[in-house]
Amino acid sequence: MPVDSSAPYRKRVAQALGDDGLRTALDRATGRLRSHRLAAMQDIDVERLREEVRAVREYSVSNLPDLLEQLEQNLTANGCVVHWARDAAEANEIVREIADEHNVQQVAKSKSMTTEEIGLNEALEHADIEVVETDLGEYIIQLAGEPPSHLTAPVIHKRVEDISKLFEQEFGIAPTTNPADLCAVARNQLRSKFLRADMGISGGNFAVAESGTVCIVTNEGNGRMVTSMPRVYVAIVGIEKVVPRLEDAILLWQAAARSATGQDVTVYFSMSSGPRGEGHPDGPEEMHVVLLDNGRSRLLERGYADALLCIRCGACVNECPVYREIGGHAYGRTAYSGPIGAVVTPLLSDDMTSAKELPFASSLCGACLDVCPAKIDLPRLLLDLRHDLVLLKSGTNAERLGMRLFASAAKRRFTFEWLTRLGRWATGLLSGRDGEVRRLPPPLSGWTKYRSFPKLAASGFRKLWAERKPGRESGRG
Amino acid sequence: MTARDEILAHLRTELSRTDDLFRRAKIRHETPTVPSAVTEATGDRLALARQFGAKLEAIHGGFEIAQGPESVPTRVTQLVKRWNSDGDRVLSWAASELHVPDLTPRLEQAGISFYVPDDMHEEECRRSAAHLSVGITGVEAAFAGTGSIALLPGKGRSRAAALLTLYHIAVIPFSCIYPSIEAWMEVARKAGNLDDRVRRGSQLAFVTGPSKSADIELNLTLGVHGPKMVHAVIFDDG
Repeated sequence: MPVDSSAPYRKRVAQALGDDGLRTALDRATGRLRSHRLAAMQDIDVERLREEVRAVREYSVSNLPDLLEQLEQNLTANGCVVHWARDAAEANEIVREIADEHNVQQVAKSKSMTTEEIGLNEALEHADIEVVETDLGEYIIQLAGEPPSHLTAPVIHKRVEDISKLFEQEFGIAPTTNPADLCAVARNQLRSKFLRADMGISGGNFAVAESGTVCIVTNEGNGRMVTSMPRVYVAIVGIEKVVPRLEDAILLWQAAARSATGQDVTVYFSMSSGPRGEGHPDGPEEMHVVLLDNGRSRLLERGYADALLCIRCGACVNECPVYREIGGHAYGRTAYSGPIGAVVTPLLSDDMTSAKELPFASSLCGACLDVCPAKIDLPRLLLDLRHDLVLLKSGTNAERLGMRLFASAAKRRFTFEWLTRLGRWATGLLSGRDGEVRRLPPPLSGWTKYRSFPKLAASGFRKLWAERKPGRESGRG
Repeated sequence: MTARDEILAHLRTELSRTDDLFRRAKIRHETPTVPSAVTEATGDRLALARQFGAKLEAIHGGFEIAQGPESVPTRVTQLVKRWNSDGDRVLSWAASELHVPDLTPRLEQAGISFYVPDDMHEEECRRSAAHLSVGITGVEAAFAGTGSIALLPGKGRSRAAALLTLYHIAVIPFSCIYPSIEAWMEVARKAGNLDDRVRRGSQLAFVTGPSKSADIELNLTLGVHGPKMVHAVIFDDG
């Protein structure tokens, strides 16, 4: 059964863990992505690359307002129309109005997590505009009626057999497990859509302030199609994507490619600076850029500027042992999954507690930090978020009561020692011959459902301290 | 207050509130640093051409190095004849943009006709271009470090020629090959025209090998939307 991303958190996780097909697909895909990334990092100075990426991103985020103004000025000088959107509703309305103005019936869209974030497809479809996803993976999940489950590999949760079955139902093809055959079907279906579309829509991986340029990273060529074939092109760009110079975009592109898929660079890097020039045979007649906030400036307010450094490569997602077990849909109705998703999903929300479980969906092993090309300390951010969520009283009453009782006991030496003795006695009773406690009674039984822990040691720290430091009084210091 | 003013004001307020913006930062970067090249080739013009070709081949493209400009038409004719199963018409850049002056007449002598679109928004133009299998273009630059080419659209330089067809033949003179993208940008920036080159064409595109996808269980598939083969015909232009 597929994971229902709108179900409650525990149900989503249970559905994911019970889906063997999903685990097989995740195992196959993340395993390959990780080994490709490792191979791509062998022949370069990885640390230098990461330091440079970090420097570019820190500079960009530190100077966001000035860079955004410069970007706007240069885009306008290039003949683009620049729009600003505070939130998803404003962004969707801007795009709908542009579509209305041009009597747009059909939109060809390049893969964009930003447009997933704001629910653009639903907004346009509500206005009776047909939206076709043109990235192969996005096209497949659009046919399946599912959201993407990975930042860069949206259909990572599906096996080739699942996709064949979907294409059989949609297009009446014979069953096949040959990806090339399935790809050819999609190419044929989508080619006519590209040529008929009245409007092309993309996100923006980077936006260059000095030249007024929106950069799109793709491998399939659909990004170049949607920015070239339709008469109207709209790019929806998060405000944090701006960088000062062209060289910075080239650096981030290479870092993203190596980190995401292990390529030196992606096949296509399209740097759009405006509508087609006089006498040019193709390219859009109008180019619009929507600069989207939608909670990004609030990340600064909430003290999480680090999360704005992300270049959305998805390397942290592939490394995360939690993601590799549960996949993207278990993170809920969000465009962003894995460790970075667990950070930005609550932070981008008006109400941080609406995704309060996500920062806890991590073992804090640190693998995400090790692979992040922008050196974002994701475990630190997750811990800080847990802290902030506790302060927002996001836990259950039982959790809060338990924490208050623990705090009260820990502050009183006699109570603490008495409780420690009680715990030593109780875990001694509950443990097996090997000293492991495998089953706790309710309401603590959840702790031992998937793991055991050792009984409390016979001698506590204070006792050992007193024994080994004879010159000091027991219990002091 | 407009959305623009509100967003910028919010950002300015928040950024001025603290000097410790990032958890890990030791210094606040006051000026942008100059990134170094990630993948760079070295050597003379021939060495760069060979490295470019080897890189392109490694990512499922193809290449050949012609003796000089006079050999290019013969090589291109052979490729077109091999790949054009449905006629001898190709989607191409204008003759003046292909780096080899007699390429077009020589191919026409061999029975190959050229379609150079002038407005892809016209239905007739789209129909004519859509079914062609082979596209021929020149390049703005090529990069030995990554096997990439830079394409800059313009009059007589359609984006479609390197995008709609199944096979893309790129004609590349030695003088267009640089060790890396960064090296090319450095030269253009020193010459004071990088910014202009990026803006002028409305879309500067870097293309590195054939269109591909690994969306289905990470199995590599070529020619998803763009060409399934990018073949470089490289020549020494002296």
